[in-house]
Amino acid sequence: MKAAWIGLGGLLVLGACAGDLDEQWQLDHDRIIAVRATPPGIVSGERAEIDALIGAVGQHPVERPPEIATVVSPMSLMGTVAPDAGKWYVTAPDAARLAAARTELGLKADAPVPLQVGVSYSGQTLLAFKTVFLGETRVNPSLDDMMIDGAAAPGSTTEIVVQPLTDVRLSVKADVDDTVNWLTSCGTMHDFDLPNAYLRVEKDDPTTGDLGVVRRVSDGGVAWHVWTIRAD
Amino acid sequence: MIDALGRPVRNATITIEGQVDGTVAKTGRDGTFVIDAPIGATLIVEQKAFGVGLATVIGNTVDDIVLLTEKQLGETIEVNSEAPAVAPGAAQLDRKELQRIPGTGGDIVRALTVMPGVVNLQLPLGYSGVVIRGSSPQDSRVLIDDFEVPVLFHNVGFRAVIPAETIASLDYIPGGFDVGYGRASSGIVALTTRPGDEKRSTQAEISVIDGGLLAQGPIGKDTRYLFALRRSTIDFVLPKVIPASADLSLTTVPRYYDGQLRLDHQLNEKWKLTLSDVGTDDIFELFATKDENATSKRFYNRTRFDRLTGSARYKDGPWLANIALSGIYTQFLFEAGLYQNIDVRTAAVTPRIDITHTDATAGGLKDVVWRVGAEAQVSRVGVDLALPNEKREGEMMAGMMFDPKDVSQQFKGHVWFSDFAGWSSVTASFDKRVRGTAGVRAEYFQRPNEVAIQPRGELKFQLAKPWQLRLSAGAYRRPPEFQSELLEKGIQSERSKQAIVGLQYEPKDGVRVQASTYYTDRSALITHDAMGKLTNNGRGTTTGAELLATYRGGPWFAWLSYSYSHSTRVDQPGAERRLFSYDQPHSLNAALSWQKGHWQLGGRFQVYSGLPFTPATGSVFDSDHNIYVPILADANSARAPIHHQLDIRVDYSWKWGPVAMTAFLDLQNAYMNKSIVTYFYNYDYSQRAAFTSLPLIPSIGLRGIL
Repeated sequence: MKAAWIGLGGLLVLGACAGDLDEQWQLDHDRIIAVRATPPGIVSGERAEIDALIGAVGQHPVERPPEIATVVSPMSLMGTVAPDAGKWYVTAPDAARLAAARTELGLKADAPVPLQVGVSYSGQTLLAFKTVFLGETRVNPSLDDMMIDGAAAPGSTTEIVVQPLTDVRLSVKADVDDTVNWLTSCGTMHDFDLPNAYLRVEKDDPTTGDLGVVRRVSDGGVAWHVWTIRAD
Repeated sequence: MIDALGRPVRNATITIEGQVDGTVAKTGRDGTFVIDAPIGATLIVEQKAFGVGLATVIGNTVDDIVLLTEKQLGETIEVNSEAPAVAPGAAQLDRKELQRIPGTGGDIVRALTVMPGVVNLQLPLGYSGVVIRGSSPQDSRVLIDDFEVPVLFHNVGFRAVIPAETIASLDYIPGGFDVGYGRASSGIVALTTRPGDEKRSTQAEISVIDGGLLAQGPIGKDTRYLFALRRSTIDFVLPKVIPASADLSLTTVPRYYDGQLRLDHQLNEKWKLTLSDVGTDDIFELFATKDENATSKRFYNRTRFDRLTGSARYKDGPWLANIALSGIYTQFLFEAGLYQNIDVRTAAVTPRIDITHTDATAGGLKDVVWRVGAEAQVSRVGVDLALPNEKREGEMMAGMMFDPKDVSQQFKGHVWFSDFAGWSSVTASFDKRVRGTAGVRAEYFQRPNEVAIQPRGELKFQLAKPWQLRLSAGAYRRPPEFQSELLEKGIQSERSKQAIVGLQYEPKDGVRVQASTYYTDRSALITHDAMGKLTNNGRGTTTGAELLATYRGGPWFAWLSYSYSHSTRVDQPGAERRLFSYDQPHSLNAALSWQKGHWQLGGRFQVYSGLPFTPATGSVFDSDHNIYVPILADANSARAPIHHQLDIRVDYSWKWGPVAMTAFLDLQNAYMNKSIVTYFYNYDYSQRAAFTSLPLIPSIGLRGIL
């Protein structure tokens, strides 16, 4: 059983040497940061909107609907994703189609059906998939008790100003099973994947940019918040 | 025939073992003798002033035989020559010579990298076993005192788990091994620990990597002991070299302990008893953050084993028997974050018996050696596992991003293995120039309920005087007990068929050139099918050629090895043929060492191909799990560049009162060639960077022997 974990040990070493590559907390990078279904779980007849937080080099992160969205799985639910007025929606089908989908996936009769939706951005150079649960109502989480540098986090329209060469403490309330990512394009993020992280703008770091936080919960819900930030 | 001071021994009587009324020879004034004896025969040497001794005929001339008095060394005879290779391409490595090879840090097992056929990796990459002839580490077995050990190297420090000072010899058999070895489809590395010296002594050694003590000597007239203990010192150094800005907390700095104990007791003229114990314990714990309460970023590992072996050796005229009972306890524990863990605890007992009988003639054949043996291995493996699905050979590891919540593979329970093996062979000379071995090994693997019959044989032709030709062929099996294989009942052993042609040239004392070419056909390789289930659908082949030339003369020791290998496989019927992950086409090692007076100087140059890897061409973001799934090119379709480096070693020895001191400096990669080991990707596979070899690895140490 050992060799598989030799690989992981190697990854830790490699991770420690990854200075030339963009870190995962870096917002100044072309990528899909998170895909959101609002709401993430719906029952027959309801619909959920699909959008994503998109990062781009030299630009502020933005929320955008997909350029294209399609069903990846199960194939029997093809057609449940469709555009409407420039946005993309998943519409939960009737009970009979959900039952057929459960049979296709080998699920219990009352189990929610995981509909995997594929999305693309930037001319299909950025690809992602997201699961929407059909047959059960679910909601996205909230971002509570956000603290930045010892004070309650301001609203999105307020620019955050931090001191350079200082550890700026960041925190958000999260359950132990949640995944939290703190992201920035200003400074260096430490412990970016913990609810309690800290930001430090080093001498050679960019002094303007954005600060973001994404919280994922285990039932498929996601929430994010983005601020502009400056070190001064 | 000479005595301990190098003076000729006259009037020594030489007879051939097993020939009651056979040829008798006597040494002349100059100590020389002439006797008509076949290759492989055992000579019995008797002289009233000395102890009785034995020597083996390995050619038309026998190198100096040193006779020692009873007082000096009981019945031991030392033959100052290389032992004959046990298989074409095989070699027995002498401890003292290999400690002279630069770039090994004095570590005899790491000196394996000079052997042709051993896949070479730049530091800091490494693996826990040995990769031979382009296969995988699990296809070869590492034995200590005839029994398998689970790891050969420590996780940190790039050191073997057994110090060089406790090793008597290291047998490297890249293929074509005899029926006495099993459970491997590629090669064998067999370490033999050494008994304590006849003179009591204590020695200590310390370097920046580890330090140890060794004590040895006699207990009474018939018993000797050797005890060694080693502890890492790198854990004292490591925290000081980690930058304060790193998001890292080493709560338990990587450290290891190694321990060896060996007791040898000469019960009587026929029986010799040995008790040996080999153990190691590696541990580390770190947090990938400065916050030591963040258990989601905690990594903990403990790897330890202890093998205790009791053995008895019986020698009476034509009979030779080795009987042993060995037990091992191993634990591999790894915990990553909140969800992933593996704890594998194995307890195994292995009784083994191997008997040979020698006849001068039988059935018209000469110098016939009959061999028969049996072995059982009964193991209980306790597993507590919650991990992502295991990646098999050639499948890309998770990369920079792995899902810390992925526990797709779970198991909690235990598994029993009861494997049995029996073997028999006969070796005989057809005439003075041709000697052959034919044998069969039969194994029963209980878990897959599989019987494996493995015929093996070899022919040796003594050509014109310095030349010897060897042909070897055989069938080999590796039982399905590696990693997640042990959790599956429906898979069978991996198989290989090997054919080797070897040529050996020994123009004069101290010079040996071995060349061999081989073909290995591998089948029933265990791979994942399209549904992710393990099956025996893989096939593969390896072809190659190897050269090993050695020179020992006066103060000089020189070593040249080169290997060419091409190793490919097909994972499923109809799939594309691809390279093995450890396919290394070219590997060259040239070493030269000079020793005189207080000084020993040496240099080693190595150049070898980089290993294959699978490039990522993009990724798809799995937003639910916050990971990027790579889009991969064909498996192992790219290769890291070639690597070369020069290693230098300097030793200086002196007397400090009653203590014999040695200081050494071992520099790896002396001209600081930063070649590319492999490439690694960022979290979304949109960028990649070269992972380069360490620029310079110095090893400084001090040894004192009292």
